[in-house]
Amino acid sequence: MTSDVAVAAGGCHLFSGCGFPAPGLNDFDFKPLFTIGSFNFTKPEMIAFLSAFIVIGFFWAAFAKPKMIPGRLQSLGELAVVAVRDQIVRPSLGKNGDKYLPLLVSMFFFILVMNLMELIPVLQFPSMSRIGFVVPLAAIVYILYIYLGFKNQGALGYISNMWPRGVPWPVYIILIPVELLRFFIIQPFTLGIRLFANMFAGHLLLSIFMVATWYLMSFSIGLLFAAGSAAMVLFVFLLELLVDLLQAFIFTTLTATYIASSLEAQH
Amino acid sequence: MATVSTRDERGGRGTPGRGSAAEEEAVNRALGLGTGWTVFSYLISGMLAYGGIGWVIGHFTHIALLFPIGMMVGLAISVGWIIYRYGSGTPGSERTRGQGPRG
Repeated sequence: MTSDVAVAAGGCHLFSGCGFPAPGLNDFDFKPLFTIGSFNFTKPEMIAFLSAFIVIGFFWAAFAKPKMIPGRLQSLGELAVVAVRDQIVRPSLGKNGDKYLPLLVSMFFFILVMNLMELIPVLQFPSMSRIGFVVPLAAIVYILYIYLGFKNQGALGYISNMWPRGVPWPVYIILIPVELLRFFIIQPFTLGIRLFANMFAGHLLLSIFMVATWYLMSFSIGLLFAAGSAAMVLFVFLLELLVDLLQAFIFTTLTATYIASSLEAQH
Repeated sequence: MATVSTRDERGGRGTPGRGSAAEEEAVNRALGLGTGWTVFSYLISGMLAYGGIGWVIGHFTHIALLFPIGMMVGLAISVGWIIYRYGSGTPGSERTRGQGPRG
């Protein structure tokens, strides 16, 4: 990790003549690890694959041969599934929502593991801080949301239910542009952008304090500031642990809420 | 995964009892989260929709002020609609509940 920080700092130190090498957008661009044809395989993609393998591997190992008296791994797997079921699925969808449990458990743990990768030395990058990883997830959720709505309410019923009822017709006309924009653009946008922005900001914050610690470290008053910056690294690290979990929870809970609203019987 | 008998189905610790405080809290949290982001979406949508309309009209009439006026009007419409729809105070108890996709 130290060598990565040193590279990010460009070998700069306080009083060495160069200014503070503030981390920026360049830290989110990576050289390809290898190339297949015109496709460049980069570190964020490797982390995404690794996260998927970890989640699949864990649940495969836990539930491939389930036993009535579970072993340690099966107990841990059950605890994970039950936690998502009780805290996310059942509160939004009730018992009927259990058929969406595999989707929501996979989604929660995939996002969580992807996010936690930013705190693991050597890897230390959250792939969700690249918008290209968030948009497909939000698109999957939104396509499912609209599909379930059409399936359960019928095409005409779904379109008519999109509009608020029980309001005077002038209000109805006033609300049309707001509802259209909210439903088709803002809602899916906010679903994805929140996860992306939190991961992006968290990674940048961690990078800034790590580079600052390295930059300020010298036999001078800078050592005091370096210690302060190192304390901030620890604080942001703990904060990011919470944010990683919270963002996975919020994304999955909102997915469950969207599914619930698509399944809801309309009257 | 679905075939696995889970810890609480075997009587272990896990699921809070039906109607328990923990379950109610989880339901309120999910409803509150959904409502919160819908409200946020309405605020942004109102400003963008009417700001956009104001900008288009302003572009052709050369009145630049119509863009910020449109945004303010959109914000006012959104706030009014949010108060009407969610003003009853408790999460998930909006006036037009069951009258359109929420979330």
